[in-house]
Amino acid sequence: MNNTNRGLNRTLIAVIGLLALVAGAGLIVVATDAAARGAFRKTGPAAAHHVASWLRSTPFSTANADASWEWILVLSVLVLIVVLLLVFIFRQGHGHDETLLREDTSDAGATIVDTRLAEQAIRADLEGVPEILASSVTSYRVRKTVVLKVSATCRRGASPRQVAHVIEQSLTALDDLLGYRAPALIQLSGGFRARLSNARRAR
Amino acid sequence: MSSPEPYSYRRILRRETHSPRSALAIALAVALIALCAYLGAEIILMMLNHRALLAAPEDMLTALGNLGTAPIAAPLITGIVLALIGLLLLIAALTPGRRARHQLPSERAGIVVDDEVVASALARRAAYAANANPDNTVATVSRSRAVVRITPTSGVPVQHDAVSAAVQEELAGFELTPPVRSVVELAPRGRVGE
Repeated sequence: MNNTNRGLNRTLIAVIGLLALVAGAGLIVVATDAAARGAFRKTGPAAAHHVASWLRSTPFSTANADASWEWILVLSVLVLIVVLLLVFIFRQGHGHDETLLREDTSDAGATIVDTRLAEQAIRADLEGVPEILASSVTSYRVRKTVVLKVSATCRRGASPRQVAHVIEQSLTALDDLLGYRAPALIQLSGGFRARLSNARRAR
Repeated sequence: MSSPEPYSYRRILRRETHSPRSALAIALAVALIALCAYLGAEIILMMLNHRALLAAPEDMLTALGNLGTAPIAAPLITGIVLALIGLLLLIAALTPGRRARHQLPSERAGIVVDDEVVASALARRAAYAANANPDNTVATVSRSRAVVRITPTSGVPVQHDAVSAAVQEELAGFELTPPVRSVVELAPRGRVGE
């Protein structure tokens, strides 16, 4: 329901996985294959030396030959990567919305229905239902539409069909109340509390 | 009634029945940040003419260049571990990562049910049909199969077909997507009742 960019998650995992696989395969080949080992022996030290001398090519300090602008460049690339990764981490989740409905009813002003109205109405309605141990209602903005999410923890042995039906009825009652039909997702879960609770006798 | 209709639940339902892979992606990002911080620290220490934490950046570079003459044990083990991690990450990135959930049909909303809830409902129905103790009835639900295992109460006859039919009927009533077939297994020996 939240607007986590899942494609980006998978892309990051795939790119890092590919890099690790290639680096690992490279190490294995250099360590075991005689021909690759010989070739690396010939070119490796020279290449390392080449990179090292490039990194030292424009020193800005006379006291320390290692303090060169190239290292500053490397450092800024590292900082950039860290910033991008932090943005990536903190972009996970999100998407809650406060406004369920906004209608410009007259020239004098607009009518705004807060999502908490729907949340409290449905929770209050589900409170007495024996099959439901706990419920929570949240709302998310999914592609410009506010969608209600009703999560219910079912009692052990409760029929999901019945529980779903009860929640659907609550939603329909809310529709009548608001004169607006908000899209909704119902999520039925079991979980620890359900496992400990007793099955109810059929009446 | 004003509403954004017809609302398509396809995207939401897909997202609710598949893993976002967030935990793995965040863990990787944190590991990468730690690696970058370490490399950055080594570079700054080198530029300030301080001693390196583990190895100075240029020494790392030289060591990398000398891999062709280095002993093979360390690079080989590192290589195998890296390749294995890379392979597992690629698998995680490319597999669908289904959650243990099913969809129910609905006119009003999108509905997802944890498989656990379905299993518990089937177990109760089966225990009722078999006159067995609900605590001796175990059900597991996977993507397309539900298995109910009943240990009958000693001395109470259980008709396999009747229990099977009851479970089948209950399951059919749920109208799960993707569809699930049910199997009822009776333990050969009963257990003395409460």
